[in-house]
Amino acid sequence: MKIERFDLIIVGAGPSGLSAAIEAAKHGMRVVVFDENAKPGGQLFKQIHKFFGSKEHKAKIRGFHIGEQLLAEADSVGVKVELNATVVGLYQDREVVVRMGDEVHHFKGDAIIIATGAAENMVLFDGWNLPGVMGAGAAQTLMNLYGVKPGEKILMLGSGNVGLVVSFQLLQAGCDVVALVDAAPKIGGYGVHAAKVARTGVPFYLSHTIKKAEGTDHVTGVTIAEVDSHFQFIPGTDKHFDVDTICVAVGLSPMSQLLKMAGCKMEDNPKRGGQVPIIGEYGETSIPGIYAAGDVSGIEEASSAMIEGRMSGVVAAEYLGFMTAEEKAEKLDQLNQSLDALRQGMFAPKNRGKKITETEEGIPVSESLLHKGFVADDEIERYPGVTHRAGVHPVIECTQNIPCNPCQDACKKHCIRIGSEITSLPAVEPDSTCIDCGMCVASCPGQAIFLINEDDGAGNAEITLPYEFLPLPKVGDKGVALGRSGSPVCEAEVARVRSSKAFDGTNLLTIRVPAKYAMTARFFKTNAQQKEAAE
Amino acid sequence: MTGDVIVIGAGIIGSASAYYLAKRGYKVIVLEKSDIIGNGGSSRNGGGVRQSGRDPRELPIAMYGINNLWPTLSEELGYDVEYHKKGNLRLGKTEKHLETLKKLADKASACGLDVRMIGPKEVKEINPYLSDEVIGASWCPTDGHANPLKATLAYYMAARRLGVTYITGESVQEIRKVHGRARIVVTNHDTYEGEYIVLAAGYESRRIAGTVGIDIPMVRKLIECLVTEAEPKMFEQMLGTAEADFYGHQTNHGSFVIGGSTGFELYKKDNGTPVNYSDTVPCICRGIIRYIPRLKDAKIVRAWAGWSDNMSDGVPVIDTVSEVPGLVLACGFTGHGFGIAPGVGTVVSQLVAGEEPVCDISGLKYDRFYAKDVAKK
Amino acid sequence: MNELSNRSRDIGEFVPQPDDDMIVCRCEEVTKGEIRRAVHDGLWTIAEIRRYLRCGMGLCQGQTCAKLVKGIVARELHVSPALLEPATSRSPMRPVEMHVFADETEDTDL
Repeated sequence: MKIERFDLIIVGAGPSGLSAAIEAAKHGMRVVVFDENAKPGGQLFKQIHKFFGSKEHKAKIRGFHIGEQLLAEADSVGVKVELNATVVGLYQDREVVVRMGDEVHHFKGDAIIIATGAAENMVLFDGWNLPGVMGAGAAQTLMNLYGVKPGEKILMLGSGNVGLVVSFQLLQAGCDVVALVDAAPKIGGYGVHAAKVARTGVPFYLSHTIKKAEGTDHVTGVTIAEVDSHFQFIPGTDKHFDVDTICVAVGLSPMSQLLKMAGCKMEDNPKRGGQVPIIGEYGETSIPGIYAAGDVSGIEEASSAMIEGRMSGVVAAEYLGFMTAEEKAEKLDQLNQSLDALRQGMFAPKNRGKKITETEEGIPVSESLLHKGFVADDEIERYPGVTHRAGVHPVIECTQNIPCNPCQDACKKHCIRIGSEITSLPAVEPDSTCIDCGMCVASCPGQAIFLINEDDGAGNAEITLPYEFLPLPKVGDKGVALGRSGSPVCEAEVARVRSSKAFDGTNLLTIRVPAKYAMTARFFKTNAQQKEAAE
Repeated sequence: MTGDVIVIGAGIIGSASAYYLAKRGYKVIVLEKSDIIGNGGSSRNGGGVRQSGRDPRELPIAMYGINNLWPTLSEELGYDVEYHKKGNLRLGKTEKHLETLKKLADKASACGLDVRMIGPKEVKEINPYLSDEVIGASWCPTDGHANPLKATLAYYMAARRLGVTYITGESVQEIRKVHGRARIVVTNHDTYEGEYIVLAAGYESRRIAGTVGIDIPMVRKLIECLVTEAEPKMFEQMLGTAEADFYGHQTNHGSFVIGGSTGFELYKKDNGTPVNYSDTVPCICRGIIRYIPRLKDAKIVRAWAGWSDNMSDGVPVIDTVSEVPGLVLACGFTGHGFGIAPGVGTVVSQLVAGEEPVCDISGLKYDRFYAKDVAKK
Repeated sequence: MNELSNRSRDIGEFVPQPDDDMIVCRCEEVTKGEIRRAVHDGLWTIAEIRRYLRCGMGLCQGQTCAKLVKGIVARELHVSPALLEPATSRSPMRPVEMHVFADETEDTDL
């Protein structure tokens, strides 16, 4: 039996695996990356939304573009990415057996990085195994990779970022999201993700979960009910929806089986998503030369997975003498700062499970946002991004401390200030001049920035909002303006539609509403769309 | 904790012994080092319940089990062990293979077993799925197979129902004598006391027996097995080959449970996890496809490895120890203990009870090992 | 030694539940009731349950049901799910046809 050898073998060509490969190859290592999928990039290529973070984290760039950048970088430094290459096992002495086509091949690496990511969790309810019940990630794959609508009428279970982001993408794909349900009493994901779903009219049911999926050979309906603080159903609270699809977004579990098979010491750590390897600071497992990076060592998100990947690539390179200890220390120092910046704010791993009542600025958090998915009209004024003045000016409805700052860089007129802590709430500079360029609106990954002219002199207000749906309304289209809650607030007319390469796919829709609705109208539907939704 | 009998090892031998002891009314405590019942070779074997191919010294206990225990075992234990008595084909492709098979068959026939050589036509009649390259086989119609994943657990569950106490995660450090009798078992957590101590701890038995001055000459050998997805029902016999390319059967569920070897089994490393060697499953697959071409598209879902306790002369020790009264040995099964486990459990319960065993185990004594010049005499 | 060591620990009687016929392992069609019953019969580890009922031994190798089974078993035993060791990870990580495994090709273009 022939064994082929590499300096470094990486399993998984997702964000962390590719990042690790790039760092290692840059330092002269002979690297191969195996991935069982037909396309590289892991989950990146189905992430059509703009990423959070700051410039160094590739903020405001859409996930699939980050994937393209990573692949180009990997290619430029000579990383071999083997696709349709299924790793069958990780055996003794760092041996990897790979199925490629109808053959198996044996490889050994002086170092191995396992970056196999995670898989979706399921939850049990009557009818959970009916066709039509699927993971939210699976639905996302269907839509965004294969161009297939997962269903027409969909209920989403789970209000974490996956549930929120996928709900929005389902809406973008033209599906009807009838409800967003979570057994927890408050929304788990970013408020801005919830708000952009809520304002389209999707109702949120917190402290609710699925009782039963109905149907004989596929889903035809679903019953949810309210649960008490012990997650027991409260009698008489049943609610029924006609749906053909139920998406489940109840967390991810690390796919750590290869590490366990190899004999790495493992632990069951609910904070990291389940069965994970016990690792050092940079992904070192209990077996010398075997590293873990990305979700396989603890569920986070793609941005931190990319940094972790780079870290393990650096550590492997130094372990095998491809870089000096000094070079390693310097590189890790940079990466640590970058990772640390991402792990701050209300949603930081260290804050998981904590009840947060105030922002870092001392402002009470929006209870409405946590329980209903939108900031209430009487809460919005207390945030520093919400100010009033004559003429067009930005209104930034960003109310939670999350690591993200593209809006600050987007405004060439320095109207928006976040400061050096990227989790700070954006504030509008009092003496700045807004030129209505729209760059802030398009750059906000949370779609939380609006440009507002509160009074155009004729008794109307003009509201410019980010719009990522098709068909794009035309100037002069009449319809209704929806409030933050998704309820109609008034009639509206499209005053302006802007699209630009610089906006990267986000269109800017300007609607005209009576001036008194300037601070409440936040979404637009044509009369036809609103009529359809009402049905 | 005190009982009448302390059984060390919760594999199929220990659990069968505990079951038959409890049935006789003994209060039994079973100590298991692993957190899992039946985690050694008991669950990791091809499931053979056969007499053919066995050493004449262990043939009586094998035959006793097949004639008296296996046929009613599922009813006896209250759990389906999937026993099928549909024969064992040991296949050959060359004249040399047939010679090997004939030697084994002749030895067994001499002990009164119905095993004979058959030609290619009869082989095909028994199993039409075999390759045309098979030129003959030994055929033992009373052999069969059971489900190794279920049989050990069935003994365990039945023993537990009879009141046997099982303690897992208990690693036995030593056996201690009291007034010249083996009586106390010291573990990493506790001590246990019993009138009798049954040592059925596989390879670990060697170390533990050493604490009361008894050495059982055995080495560890890696056993590797695989299981396929469910396939349509094909055949019910147990299969093996002259060169031991593979051995195994199709379970009730439809999956094939098949074991095999590469030839390096005695020389495999231990990294602390019972993982397969990377070249074993491919090797077994090649063996299977050469004999059962139809299975080439069957998907393998899992492969296992586990350590077996291999005796220097290939048969186990099932015996009381005159120097250590109170100690009963049941170990060294050399990779073929599964099929004889019901017989062994029965005999162990008799040894504890001081009865004459129901079958001849005189060839399985603990003191049969002598240096080669002495042995020759 | 932990709460799982003494297999004679009293975990109470098996009480039938209305959702006992709900399938938990889709690949091998194992129900919640069968899993709960097995716990009361003495199968207290994921490995034992898996060997006896085959849940998690099918096509997906427990990717979907492993956490669900763990939760059910833990509840029945009145222990934290973290105490239950997941099933051993074994090759092949994905089902592989025999003829593929048999073909250990010597050369790659890598």
